[in-house]
Amino acid sequence: MSVALKSWRANEGPKHLITMVWIAANVFLFWKTFMVYFSEAQYYYLHKMLGLGLCISRASASVLNFNCSLVLLPMCRSLLTFLRGSQRLLNRRTVFHTCLTYAVIVLVHVSAHLVNMVSFSVRYSEDFPGLNVAQYRGQVTHTDTHMDIFFPGVTGVLLVLVLFLMFTASSYCIRVSSYEIFWYTHNLFIVFYVILMVHVAGGALKYQSNVETHPPGCVQNNLSSWTNHRAAGEKGTESSGAPQTVCQEEARFQPHFPQTWLWVSAPLCLYCAERFYRFIRSSAAPVTIVSVISHPCSVVELRMLKSGFKPHPGQYILLNCPSVSSFENHPFTLTTVSPFVLVWKCVFLPTCNISNLTVCCAFSSHPRVHVDGPFGSPSEEVFNYEVSLCVAGGIGVTPFACVLQALFDDWRQYKLKRLYFVWVCRDLQSFYWFADLLCGLHERLWRDNRPDYLNVQLYLSNTQGLQSISEERYRFLSSRLRIGRPKWKLIFQEIGRANQLKRVGVFCCGPKGISKALHTLCNSNPHTETAFEYNKESFS
Amino acid sequence: MGKIEWAMWANEQALAAGLIYATGGIVGVAGQFRGWQFAAFGIAAGVFVCLLEYPRSKRGKGTSVERTGQYCFTVCVNAFGPLTRNYYVRAFLHAALCVPGGFMLATVLGCVCLGIASLIYLSAAIHGEHWEPILPRTEPPKRVGDSIKEPPQNPPPRPPPELRRKKADKLETAAYDNPMSVTVNE
Repeated sequence: MSVALKSWRANEGPKHLITMVWIAANVFLFWKTFMVYFSEAQYYYLHKMLGLGLCISRASASVLNFNCSLVLLPMCRSLLTFLRGSQRLLNRRTVFHTCLTYAVIVLVHVSAHLVNMVSFSVRYSEDFPGLNVAQYRGQVTHTDTHMDIFFPGVTGVLLVLVLFLMFTASSYCIRVSSYEIFWYTHNLFIVFYVILMVHVAGGALKYQSNVETHPPGCVQNNLSSWTNHRAAGEKGTESSGAPQTVCQEEARFQPHFPQTWLWVSAPLCLYCAERFYRFIRSSAAPVTIVSVISHPCSVVELRMLKSGFKPHPGQYILLNCPSVSSFENHPFTLTTVSPFVLVWKCVFLPTCNISNLTVCCAFSSHPRVHVDGPFGSPSEEVFNYEVSLCVAGGIGVTPFACVLQALFDDWRQYKLKRLYFVWVCRDLQSFYWFADLLCGLHERLWRDNRPDYLNVQLYLSNTQGLQSISEERYRFLSSRLRIGRPKWKLIFQEIGRANQLKRVGVFCCGPKGISKALHTLCNSNPHTETAFEYNKESFS
Repeated sequence: MGKIEWAMWANEQALAAGLIYATGGIVGVAGQFRGWQFAAFGIAAGVFVCLLEYPRSKRGKGTSVERTGQYCFTVCVNAFGPLTRNYYVRAFLHAALCVPGGFMLATVLGCVCLGIASLIYLSAAIHGEHWEPILPRTEPPKRVGDSIKEPPQNPPPRPPPELRRKKADKLETAAYDNPMSVTVNE
């Protein structure tokens, strides 16, 4: 299958571009810092003492600074929602975030500093006592006592431990099986940043502050002949015959200003400001639960009202129920915008705690809930294309239900001219969740003389037994119900033929298998006149 | 919410800790720190822990996701029977392996991380979890029933006699005898 360049460029281009820019930035920072410590005059003596370990550890430290500051930015959900516009690469927020954590090249940094510890001890300098960190020569290798684990060392070990806990709890398996472990360990990032600020304040590595009056390698009057000879030997290769410069004063060393504070403080302040804003916004207006409705296949619908809450179709919120758990926030997509409605399935693991909410509501003692949001999600972009394909798997129909509801209210105001809606379910009963909405929208569009606006295909992947939607009022759906899994290639071919020279937005909310298949098809469809742009929904 | 599966988290931690332990050991040996013998032990222990922890256990409830290429490791680890299935044994093993790392600066991180993993394994063991291998399911081959070898004893069911009768003028060509006598005019 030929790769459709136009689609590929639209789907994969921005992602690869951002990755390359980021790698280039990291490599540039590493190289620049490496060269500073390798060849600059103010680090001359320190470099002689520590060697390559100094350059590697400082260069990796600057890369760490860069990444620690960047890591926070994709998690500023409100800011991203505000900036959303038409920037599809912001949807890969979580992927970007996880790649950044991988890049925290901790092991390089730690290893290099370990080597530095040995170097500080072995090459203890009697000539420049201010530069030393060890208390005497050979403190690490020869004697029984460990070197004093000075401040940056202790904090460094603590940082690695916190990062270790966060990293091991954030793999996909843990997130899927025990979301709380992931959530609670990930909130240790506050501890991480606090210790990070303290870690860099140690001042173990010093630069020379009086390079003009004491150029490195200059000859001192009262220095031992061995040092003079060594200095002379090095300078001799560069400027033989030139007179040796005489030092006007002793070398003075100063620890440099912790650069990390500059790197990290801005994103940290931005993130803290955003959390504060979200906290105020969620606790300012109370949320009233209007009704709780139970649907077939253990699905619950929750209708709520909150004053001043104006979400757009396709957005999601974070729900927090203090009576269930004070710290957990779970994401839910909205299915209608006023009053806003949440629909969720009780068997999904991350939401199982919230099923206790259902029990509370069943006894009509509505618990207090807090709603944080609304936040943008890819489904908002459905209206920005002329033609959109929305694929929903099971309960993944919720973002599209909001879209359908918005179309039902007024389809004319949007740029969207045609919507292909494919819904794959395992159980026939699942289609009844939004059967009324689909039929209502179809009827409305027929009356408004736009019969080709909405194209619905329903697929039942469970092929056992005879199944059909028998109600008369759902005849529209029963004629579009197919048994078996959808054949995506045929669907794409049909859409491509009917919409040539157009950009089709493909939106998927469902199992990974479906979204992977769609993603591959978007990039490699044979209809090169139609560009299929893939937008993936993701929560975790 | 279902029970938290501590063993899964402990497994990820122990794998990462093994890597950290081995890396610290490599740095210690390469830099010839004092006590580099502990570092050498750290490398061996780290590699051993990685091999032991690589195969994931089958989850109590839900789908288990294998790590790439873990089948041969699963077979090896499974061969040790209760030694590897029991998480108490694993917890004490990790605790014992991590102790020598504490004597040397380069491996101290590996020691602490492995110690934490050992504690989580202890918690998993107390909650009654144990390691289950993820083995590919062998489908029983679809066998044809033995009855195919025996021919049927009875003829196939036939419609009732009134429907089986042939008309009198077709008696010669009939394939079977009439079950009841017929006269011409019927």
